[in-house]
Amino acid sequence: MSMLDELRQPGAVRIEFQPIISLRDGEAKLYALEALSRGPRGTSLERAEVLFEYARRKGEEARLDLICIAEILNAASTLPGEPMITINVHGSTLSDADQFAERFLFAAESFGIDPKRLMLEIVEHRAPWTMERFRATLQSLRRAGVRIAVDDLGVGASNFRMIVDCRPDHLKIDRYIVHGCAKDRYRYAVLKSIVTLAEACGAAPIAEGVEDKDDLALITDLGISLLQGWLFAKSMLPADLARSSFLQQQPTRMKGSSR
Amino acid sequence: MNKRLLLVDDEETILFALERYFTRLGFIVDRARELEEAEALASFTAYDLVIADLSLSAEGTTEGLEIVRHVRRHCRNARTIILTGNATPVIEREAYRRGADVLLRKPRPLAEIANVVASLLGDAA
Repeated sequence: MSMLDELRQPGAVRIEFQPIISLRDGEAKLYALEALSRGPRGTSLERAEVLFEYARRKGEEARLDLICIAEILNAASTLPGEPMITINVHGSTLSDADQFAERFLFAAESFGIDPKRLMLEIVEHRAPWTMERFRATLQSLRRAGVRIAVDDLGVGASNFRMIVDCRPDHLKIDRYIVHGCAKDRYRYAVLKSIVTLAEACGAAPIAEGVEDKDDLALITDLGISLLQGWLFAKSMLPADLARSSFLQQQPTRMKGSSR
Repeated sequence: MNKRLLLVDDEETILFALERYFTRLGFIVDRARELEEAEALASFTAYDLVIADLSLSAEGTTEGLEIVRHVRRHCRNARTIILTGNATPVIEREAYRRGADVLLRKPRPLAEIANVVASLLGDAA
């Protein structure tokens, strides 16, 4: 049995959630939960980056995306409250997977999750895909209320073309740009330009990989209020998250923050 | 510091034996059964050594050579050993051309493989 066959077994793909925090006027509130997929424990695919690289090399990223989406929606349905859930998906899946929008929305309905609570973070690893189908899929998803983000902005293949093609609600700034921005004027310059770009596009930026208080101060000074990183929370299993304070909807005061 | 080793073989029993043996020798061992799995691992891990079977699917295939090429690109300092039960002079030449350090004919006692590893890594394995 190939690793891909093993991944098809129910529960083989494990899901964790990492909170995305909204920090305004010093008050931190849960904004959304990013779903993170991991391969079977004790295997080479336990590491997410290896899991998805394996699928891409097999030419099976759409199949893996669909497996992950089913597991994510299942896990999300067990969480208390109605937090927004963000889900990573390859851009190519939106055009290559047969009737992606219909299948995605059907799965959401099956698990009792309103599509308005869902956001797709689009990652790009190969292009071109069938642009007509890609746009049609995005349109169907948007019509149902699904939000769209461009993921990994600033690194790899996630480029300005993705922003033009996706018309995103959010720009997710990769941790490579975010981490260490307080001590690196080049990272700062890129961040600043992304904030300007986001404003011009009407998309809200989300900073990933916020792990340092100096970085946080600079990021919030730039006007970025949606934050994700170990400074706030690591990823958690659904059961641990359900017990955590993040789903209590009680804003908490950030010490030393002016925003 | 412990050396990182990637083992690649489609035979679970061989993987199991090699993994146990080299783990006991102090290696940190990852294992893969498919070409794409090995390539994905080597894309994100700085291995010191890769031991790959030449053929990972049907008899006569040469996925191991693809792995050598990938490792040369992504883990430049890694040493590579190809294991094979049916090496021909053509395959042998191709393996070295792609950057394999050693081509070993199977079956081979684990202790012998370990000796080759030790000489490749320049210390006692």
